[in-house]
Amino acid sequence: MSMQTPKQLGGIRFGLMDPETYRDLSATKVITADTYDDDGYPIDMGLMDPRLGVIDPGLECRTCGQHSGSCPGHFGHIELAAPVIHVGFTTLMRRLLRATCRECGSLTLVEEKKEEFRDQLERAEELGKDPDTVLKSAVREARKQNTCPHCGSPQADIKHEKPTTYYEVENVLASEYSEVIAEAMQPDDEDEDDEGISPSELADQTGISLERINQILGGEFRPLDEDRRALEKALDVDLTEEDMNKLMPSDIRDWFEDIPDSDIEVLGIDSENSRPEWMIMTVLPVPPVTARPSITLDNGQRSEDDLTHKLVDIIRINQRFMENREAGAPQLIIEDLWELLQYHVTTFVDNEISGTPPARHRSGRPLKTLSQRLKGKEGRFRGSLSGKRVNFSARTVISPDPTLSLNEVGIPDRVASEMTITINVTDRNTEEARQYVANGPEKHPGANYVKRPDGRRLKVTPKNCEELATKIEEGWEVNRHLVDGDIVIFNRQPSLHRMSIMAHEVVVMPYKTFRLNTVVCPPYNADFDGDEMNLHALQTEEARAEARVLMRVQEQILSPRFGENIIGAIQDHISGTYLLTNDNPHFTETQALDLLRATRVDELPDPDGEDEAGPYWSGRTVFSLLLPDGLNLDFTSSTGEDVVIEDGELLEGTIDEDAVGAFGGEIVDTIVKQYSETRARVFINEVAALAMRAIMHFGFSIGIDDESIPPVADEQVDEAIDNAYDRIEELIDTYEAGELESLPGRTVDETLEMKIMQTLGKARDSAGEIADDHFSDDNPAVVMARSGARGSMLNLTQMAGCVGQQAVRGERINRGYEDRTLAHYEENDLSAEAHGFVENSYRSGLTPREFFFHAMGGREGLVDTAVRTSKSGYLQRRLINALSELEVQYDGTVRDTSDTVIQFEFGEDGTSPVRVSSDDDFDIDVESITDRVVDAEFDSEGEKEAFLGRREPPTNLSERSEPRFQEVESDD
Amino acid sequence: MVDVSQHELVPDHTVLEDAEIDSVLEEYGLSRTDLPKIKLNDPALPDDATPGDVIEIVRDSRTTDTATSYRLVIE
Repeated sequence: MSMQTPKQLGGIRFGLMDPETYRDLSATKVITADTYDDDGYPIDMGLMDPRLGVIDPGLECRTCGQHSGSCPGHFGHIELAAPVIHVGFTTLMRRLLRATCRECGSLTLVEEKKEEFRDQLERAEELGKDPDTVLKSAVREARKQNTCPHCGSPQADIKHEKPTTYYEVENVLASEYSEVIAEAMQPDDEDEDDEGISPSELADQTGISLERINQILGGEFRPLDEDRRALEKALDVDLTEEDMNKLMPSDIRDWFEDIPDSDIEVLGIDSENSRPEWMIMTVLPVPPVTARPSITLDNGQRSEDDLTHKLVDIIRINQRFMENREAGAPQLIIEDLWELLQYHVTTFVDNEISGTPPARHRSGRPLKTLSQRLKGKEGRFRGSLSGKRVNFSARTVISPDPTLSLNEVGIPDRVASEMTITINVTDRNTEEARQYVANGPEKHPGANYVKRPDGRRLKVTPKNCEELATKIEEGWEVNRHLVDGDIVIFNRQPSLHRMSIMAHEVVVMPYKTFRLNTVVCPPYNADFDGDEMNLHALQTEEARAEARVLMRVQEQILSPRFGENIIGAIQDHISGTYLLTNDNPHFTETQALDLLRATRVDELPDPDGEDEAGPYWSGRTVFSLLLPDGLNLDFTSSTGEDVVIEDGELLEGTIDEDAVGAFGGEIVDTIVKQYSETRARVFINEVAALAMRAIMHFGFSIGIDDESIPPVADEQVDEAIDNAYDRIEELIDTYEAGELESLPGRTVDETLEMKIMQTLGKARDSAGEIADDHFSDDNPAVVMARSGARGSMLNLTQMAGCVGQQAVRGERINRGYEDRTLAHYEENDLSAEAHGFVENSYRSGLTPREFFFHAMGGREGLVDTAVRTSKSGYLQRRLINALSELEVQYDGTVRDTSDTVIQFEFGEDGTSPVRVSSDDDFDIDVESITDRVVDAEFDSEGEKEAFLGRREPPTNLSERSEPRFQEVESDD
Repeated sequence: MVDVSQHELVPDHTVLEDAEIDSVLEEYGLSRTDLPKIKLNDPALPDDATPGDVIEIVRDSRTTDTATSYRLVIE
């Protein structure tokens, strides 16, 4: 196989290109607007000239001799009949025109000023600041000069008419100057003191002879600049008018040619690589055909690329221009054609310029020209270079499987036998590799392709697999199917944090969905209502090793976002542990063993005691079996209950979301930090398994009757709400009597609103309390709310008691008709029901009006989430782009690509949020951590000496590479 | 007028001596312009700071007690 030697890039030079270089580079001059002749062959010196590269298979490139596929394509060129402006440089050209002398071309600044700006530029570059601010101030300074300090010629102002027209604006004597002067000399009718001015007085004031004044008044003599200014001053009039002189591209080119190299540098242009006159194009490069391939339609017709269409336009106009000029056409026609040529070249470069109608295809679709190919999400940069489509990936719907470990992912067999992993055959795996090949592509742990040492790839088929297997030897490569234990990368979009992409171990399964343990839903933010996820098979040993060590799910239990665990028990797991530990129920031996059947525990400790049914084990004892020995923990859960764990025994307290939940469950967090990721993984897996067994043991279901309260309670709720109505009525009465005292900083109206809202809020809360009083503790909705599994007491209140006030923009509902919300109410009705208070509960049902108000409040919530996601998405994109180049260096500093220090130590303390946790209440307890570490680590002084040769416990072992829990038992 | 440099939330800003600057630049392998910048009109700067000076800023840190950083004074 032929391989080109890799070459090293010496550097990249940015600058403008010399038209002469374009000509040297060009494979051919393009003069004909046609592409193919009648026989379908490309026309010489046409747009599809074979010297520009080949796209049709079988043809040979006339420049490099290669065939389509290997020929990179070659540039051609068009000689433009007249120079045109490149749209990409219009602002820079405007700057140059304004800052340089129209006669001598030098920058209209004195030498010292130039030096000053040169220094400022250098300083800006050193400090990494934007040089544009310096350049702008230099141009502003130069533009102020009315005459050139070098050659003394007067400078006109430059007006830029977007996109590509420049005018020189000069003040010249107005044509009706005599009338203006005569009128100014007349006395003002409205002002009695103004008696006008006579020609002789004017002559005295201006120092011009009376004779000349009379000539000027008669329009026989045009006053010179000096006299004009004197006249303007004496009469307080403006005798000038603006004269616009259009600058043709050729004028600008001549002008720019005079600008000396040293002056360009002050304006921020690298004189070594660029000359300003090159911004005006005299020759247009023609992109290779490989960059604008034509396609053959089914009916044999050829369809050309947008760029080719544009080039055809340019060549046509170019030719017409030349013909007209040679025929001596009038200036007006020449200028029109020139403008047309400018338009075509402009749209060839960028077809989305404001103020210019975009060039369109015959069908009316705007053409996609050079700039459009690069810009935007689907452009060359964001679409083709930063984002690529990849092989060895799969996507399908996800579904839950609680029997999997959190490290695992279930993969459909048909995916496993389509996606492959490349293995290199060595003397140690030859037999294994042969077996894969012998199985063929259809039987599961098989192989789809093999690669011989000479680089040839062979497809494994059911027919040739047996024979091929015998040929496999060292040096071959085999693309074998995914098998259990392989490491793959699993991802769910949007990938908002690093836990959105994690490495899992493969478990091949029947059916068509990816299966994952429910405890990994929080990091992916996944659910199973139709979510799809992507999977990538890793192709090199290095990638697999890195993924296993750094990206495996168990290494991601702690989130760098808040320094606590993001993986843990959710939903039913939490209800389950709550049921298991809250009342500390008793279990018989059979029951206890059944609860623990999905864990590694297969022996029960001594029973906690004996009751009617014989020896029993309590729920907390059963839970304690999952805890690592030596774990000591004492914390208060958010329900206010103390949880006490001593030496791996749960002595007191209920296990709820605060103990084992995702997003900072105390026990999980402590196990990861004090034991290991591996121990934590086992714990989470087992808690989930035990909790599922527990919840099934007790049974857990919810229905509409679970939210109903007895009629007595209903009456109490109604009474509470009626009370609130009475109080509101009182408030309104006081308000209408003008006796309501306003709160500090509020108007009376606002005070009334606030007080009504408060009263109604209280009414709903008391309805909630009444409802709460009538719910039993074993009510499933209550269990879920208390344990933190799902829902809150507020949700329960709304279902059983009263939905409460609906709000839009944080206020009671006030919109709708004039002075009222709905036509059902009287104008200016301030009562609760007229402004969206829903006194019914979800269970009892809402009245139509309540329903309408509720929909208004609900709509606001939906719109808010929609707006929030799009806003935060864009914000995150900008943040990522701004921070993506920052990197922690080996010396611990955080630097950007220009080696500027951003932080002297990562986060100013060099610590990972995952490794260190502290909160506002306590700083890190370094003492106890060191004590614990040292005590655990060394039994004697001798072992302390061995500390230097210490080895980290392996975290990268596959769960399948050894008996399932072997590594864990050694920890305990 | 409030002197912000006396506020408890404003960390200490001190102007470094040339020798100290050299050792800092040496330690991190930096040139002066690679340092983070601070504007001369920053109210936390000591009065005697001039453009080109290097300022040492010592912040309190919950994790490392103090965190030190350096900034170059610019106009």
